[in-house]
Amino acid sequence: MPSNLPLWLKLVLRLERAVGGPVEAAVHSNAYFDAVAELNRGTRRLTDALEGVSKRGLHLLNLPAGTDIRRVREQLARMDRRLLQISKELEQLERARDTEPV
Amino acid sequence: MPLQLSPTDVLGRVNRDVERSYLRARNGLRYVRGSNRPKLGATPKDIVWRRDKAQLWRYRGDPVRFAQPLLIVTSLVSRSYILDLLPGSSAVEFFRNRGFDVFMLDWGIPDELDGDNSLATYVDEYLPRAVAAVRRQTGCTELTMAGYCLGGVLSVLYANGHDDARVRNLVLMATPLDFEEMGPMVAALREGRLDPEHLIDESGNVPADVLYSGFFMLAPTTIVAQRATLLENLWNDEFVRGFQAMAQWTRDQVPFPGAAFREVVELFVRRNALMDGSLPVGGREIDFARTHATVLNAMAENDTVVPRAAAQPAGALVGRPERRHELLLRGGHVTFGTGRSALRHTLPSLADWIAAHSDEHPQERG
Repeated sequence: MPSNLPLWLKLVLRLERAVGGPVEAAVHSNAYFDAVAELNRGTRRLTDALEGVSKRGLHLLNLPAGTDIRRVREQLARMDRRLLQISKELEQLERARDTEPV
Repeated sequence: MPLQLSPTDVLGRVNRDVERSYLRARNGLRYVRGSNRPKLGATPKDIVWRRDKAQLWRYRGDPVRFAQPLLIVTSLVSRSYILDLLPGSSAVEFFRNRGFDVFMLDWGIPDELDGDNSLATYVDEYLPRAVAAVRRQTGCTELTMAGYCLGGVLSVLYANGHDDARVRNLVLMATPLDFEEMGPMVAALREGRLDPEHLIDESGNVPADVLYSGFFMLAPTTIVAQRATLLENLWNDEFVRGFQAMAQWTRDQVPFPGAAFREVVELFVRRNALMDGSLPVGGREIDFARTHATVLNAMAENDTVVPRAAAQPAGALVGRPERRHELLLRGGHVTFGTGRSALRHTLPSLADWIAAHSDEHPQERG
């Protein structure tokens, strides 16, 4: 730590390190990642349950739910990627044809 | 002895403090408003090739001194402008001023179209075409390839996986090979505590926010120290500019293509396969010692993103044993791009090494 720093800043930096060390040890521990994984699982279960309820309600009114939109987006993304792949394969075929001896 | 201050000294200090208070208030307002943000990646350049999201940039500048152009291959997980952050604090600008013909391969920002991009997409599709474009632009046969972070791994795979690669010098900057040394988040992926499928969203990519969280959790409280240091230096325009630039880069992660991420987790993380000195990519096994290139493994001693222990094995695995060099640098992960240690030590060392392994250009480009 440079000696020309003002006292308040030195204190903040010392405090940050004093707190930061244990915090880093905690968030890098297996227990933390287990907790995060458990929290994610719980959140996902809750979201699925809530989405199931809202989906049934929206479908009763013949409206699309967020999950429907997500599925359509995933399908569109897959189709986009497939189209891109086909266009690249075509490009390769054309290049191979152009370089073939006549 | 008691400190003697003359009235002139006191007046000078008061003046300085008043002026700094005014500057702090002005810069603080600008910072909070988000105005006056520096323009990043501003070194003049031309796009000389593109495919999908990938772009190849050629930087304009002084006459070229060296016959082999320098192609920088950037990482897949962060924005390339870390290597061209600000005028006066830019790796690209530095190399350009030292007489290198600098090209940078930027991968762009992946979206749902890129979810299927695998390692082979980068190694066998984009990199060979980008290198061909460099050759077309310069008329050179050989080049120097410098890969940063994960870009270094891609460079290793390209240089060893293509018979026509013609890489004369391969510079690896903070390139991780030993993923057992890559820190807690990678360990959580290895041990199955984190499921890669849960990190991939409906676009088929790992969202940028997930990657940011991963980097943030390396040292979650340092933001307090950084903000306090900013407050102290808020009067200093130059400091604020640098702080804003770094803060923007740190926050500005890009999504990671899902297919490549699955491969990284399975091959790099779970099998630690890079440590075998070869890797299956695109249906063949790529042997890391196959390249004829002279290899420089450059790592930073205080790197917390790619710890030295993770980068060190590249020095024993990549290239022919008689053509391997190693460089240990001061600083952290960004010392390859910006900062005081970059300009004083890292970039001059790298430029000197590349220059020593390049030919002088017979005709200088104007």
